[in-house]
Amino acid sequence: MTTSRRQHTLEVLVENEPGVLARVAGLFSRRAFNIETLNVGPTEDSSISKMVIGVAVEGHSLEQVIAQLDKLVSVISIKDVTGKVKEVHDTQPDYQN
Amino acid sequence: MAHIPTANGTAMTGATSLVKSLEAADVEVMFGLPGGAILPAYDPIFDSSIRHILVRHEQGAGHAATGYAQVTGRAGVCIATSGPGATNLVTPLMDAAMDSVPLIAITGQVPSAAIGTDAFQEADIRGITMPFTKHNYLVTDPDQIPGVIAEAFHIATTGRPGPVLVDVAKDALQKMTTFNWPTSIKLAGYNPKTTPDAQAITDAAALIAQSSKPVFYVGGGVIKANAHKELRQLVELLGAPVVTTLMARGAFPDSHPLHMGMPGMHGTVAAVTALQKADLLITLGARFDDRVTGKLSTFAPNAKILHADIDPAEIGKNRHADVAVVADVKETISALIPALKAALAKNQPDLSAWLRQMNSLKSTYPLGFDQPEDGSLSPQHVIQRIGQISGTDTIFTAGVGQHQMWASQFISYEHPRTWLNSGGAGTMGYGVPAAMGAKVGAPDATVWAIDGDGCFQMTNQELVTCALNNIPIKVAIINNESLGMVRQWQTLFYEGRYSNTNLESKRVPNFPMLAESMGCVGLSCERPEDLDKTIEKAMSINDQPVVVDFRVHRDAMVWPMVAAGTSNDEIMIARATAPDWDSQEL
Ligand SMILES: Cc1ncc(C[n+]2csc(CCOP(=O)(O)OP(=O)(O)O)c2C)c(N)n1
Ligand SMILES: [Mg+2]
Repeated sequence: MTTSRRQHTLEVLVENEPGVLARVAGLFSRRAFNIETLNVGPTEDSSISKMVIGVAVEGHSLEQVIAQLDKLVSVISIKDVTGKVKEVHDTQPDYQN
Repeated sequence: MAHIPTANGTAMTGATSLVKSLEAADVEVMFGLPGGAILPAYDPIFDSSIRHILVRHEQGAGHAATGYAQVTGRAGVCIATSGPGATNLVTPLMDAAMDSVPLIAITGQVPSAAIGTDAFQEADIRGITMPFTKHNYLVTDPDQIPGVIAEAFHIATTGRPGPVLVDVAKDALQKMTTFNWPTSIKLAGYNPKTTPDAQAITDAAALIAQSSKPVFYVGGGVIKANAHKELRQLVELLGAPVVTTLMARGAFPDSHPLHMGMPGMHGTVAAVTALQKADLLITLGARFDDRVTGKLSTFAPNAKILHADIDPAEIGKNRHADVAVVADVKETISALIPALKAALAKNQPDLSAWLRQMNSLKSTYPLGFDQPEDGSLSPQHVIQRIGQISGTDTIFTAGVGQHQMWASQFISYEHPRTWLNSGGAGTMGYGVPAAMGAKVGAPDATVWAIDGDGCFQMTNQELVTCALNNIPIKVAIINNESLGMVRQWQTLFYEGRYSNTNLESKRVPNFPMLAESMGCVGLSCERPEDLDKTIEKAMSINDQPVVVDFRVHRDAMVWPMVAAGTSNDEIMIARATAPDWDSQEL
C-alpha cells in the first residue's frame, strides 16, 4: 500500500454512452480516489470515448484504482501513461468482474 | 442463452418483448408491485408463464428475490414502477451488492420525452443505484430490450455475482418492436477471468506446504461458487483448521472437527485466535471485511496471505496478498488439490502442535450462555432449540441484531445455502421477505426466519403476501422489547444510557394478533417449559405461515465480542473478561 502522494495519468477507453462520465467520476468519489484532471474526447470509433485522468494516489495503490475502474462494465481498457506512454493494463487479460 | 425462443422475429410491444426476454432468460418467478410507468409490462405479465408474486412493499420484493437467489443460486428478479417504487428497491440493491447476490431489478421510468423534467414519479434510479449495482441500464429504445435483458442476466450471474438494474422508459414499453433474443453476448468491457493461472496455483501450493500454522479463512464466495465439496477435500488433504465467516456459514460443516467456528466481531475465541496466530491465511472467497479483521493493522500479524477471489479488486484492497489467485474459487480449489498433493509429497509440514493449540482453545472456550436467573426465556436457548428441533436441512434467515448473531452462533450449519442473512449491509427487515423468497425457491424445505422484534416491524407486511400465495414460512420473533444490539452497545460503551432503544414490544404490538390479522397462525411463548412444545406446534403447521412471539430476557448479550475498531487480540468472552491467555501455549 502506497502512502506517499504520487501523480499518475491513466488513459481510459470507455463505451460512449450516456452516464459513463458519472460512472467514472462517481467511482473516484465514493472510493476516495483523487481526480486531479479529467479530459474526455472522441476516438476514431464513435462508440468509444477516451478519458485521460490525472490521479493522485494517496492511501490507495495505483493497482487498486485500476482494478476498481476495470470493474466498471463501461470501461474497456486502462493504460498508465504517466510520463511516457507505458502500457500497464491494456495487454493484460481483462479481469472484469 | 442456449435456446432460441419461438417468439424470435415476431412483432410485439416493448412490454411484451420485456416479458418474452425474461421468459427466454428462464425466469420462473418474480416479485413486484405495479404502478403507472411499469403498467404496460404488467399486461403481458398477466399472460406469462412466469409466476409473479405481488408483494406489499417493493423492499420486500427486492429481499425476496435475494432470498430466492441465495437458496437456488439463480438470479432473483424484482420489478417495480418509477420514482418511489424504484427507490424502495434501493436498500435491497445495496444489500445484494454487499453480499454478491445475482439480483435483477426491472423498473419502469417516465416516458423518454419527460425524462429530466421532474415529471410525476420521475427518479433518476440509474444515477441513484450506480454505486451499488454491478451495472445498470436506462432503456429508451424498445429494440434494445432483449439484448439488455440478456446482458443483465449475464453480468449478474457470472464473475462475482451482483445486482443489475434495468430501467425502461414507459414509451419504450408501449412502442412496437420486433423481438430478437441475442444468440451471443459481447461486452468489450466485461470478461471475468474464471480459470486460475498455473503459476499462481504452483505458488499457492508451495506457500501452503511451507507453513506450519495455516488456517482456511473461508468466505461467502465458496458458497456462491458451489465449491463446498472441493473445499472439504482440500481441507482434509491438509488437515488445517477452518473458519467460516458470517457469509460462509454452511460452506463447511459445523460438526467437522477441523471447524473452529466463525471469526470476527462475534466470532469464537478459537476462530479469532486461529487467524491472529496463523502463519498463513488460505483465504477463499473472503474479503478481509472490518467485521472480521478488527483493527486492520493488528490483524493476523504473523500471517502470510494467500488470497483466492474472482474479483481482482479484492486482492490487496485491505490486506496485501503474498500470493493471489484470481479465478472462480471452485476452479481454484480444484486445481489446488493436485498441486498441493504434489507439494506435500515433497514436504509434509507437521501441523500437530498447531492443531493441538487450536483444539485446546476450541474446547476451553466453546460458545455458551447463561440461563436468566429469573426463570425467563433465554434468547440463545430459544434459537438453539429451533435449530435442533427443525434439523440441518432447514433454511434459516435472520434480521440484523443480537438475534442474527445468536442464529449464526447457536444453530449448527451443515450445508451451504441454509443460512441467509444480510452480512455486508446489515439490513434490518431482511429476514421475513428473504424467507419468503427462500421458500419460493425451495418449497419443500422448512424455512425459519429468526427475526428481532425491531426488524420484524420493518417488513412484516410480507406475511400477507406469504399467506395469500401459499408460502408457509415460519417466523421466530426474538422479542427482547429492544433494539437489542444497539442496547448492548449502550450497556458497554454509553454507561447504560438507553437512548431510544426501548421498543416496548411486549406491550405493543400484539405480535400473535398481528400475525393472525395477516392470515398467519400466531403463537407466543414465554416460559422455558413451553419452549419445545411451541416449536413443535410451529413445525406441525405447514399450510399457513406461522409467527411465534418468543418473549425473552432483555439483558442477554452477544459474546464473544471484539469491540469495533479494536484489535482481535482484545476479544472478550464476557463483560470485561478476556480469555485466560497465560494458560494457553500459543
Ligand atoms: C435499517 C437499519 N436501521 C438501523 C440499523 C441499526 N441496528 C442494528 S441492530 C439494531 C437493533 C435491531 O433490533 P431487533 O430487530 O429487535 O434485534 P435485536 O438486536 O434486539 O435482536 C439496529 C437498530 C440497521 N442495522 N438497519
Ligand atoms: Mg430486539
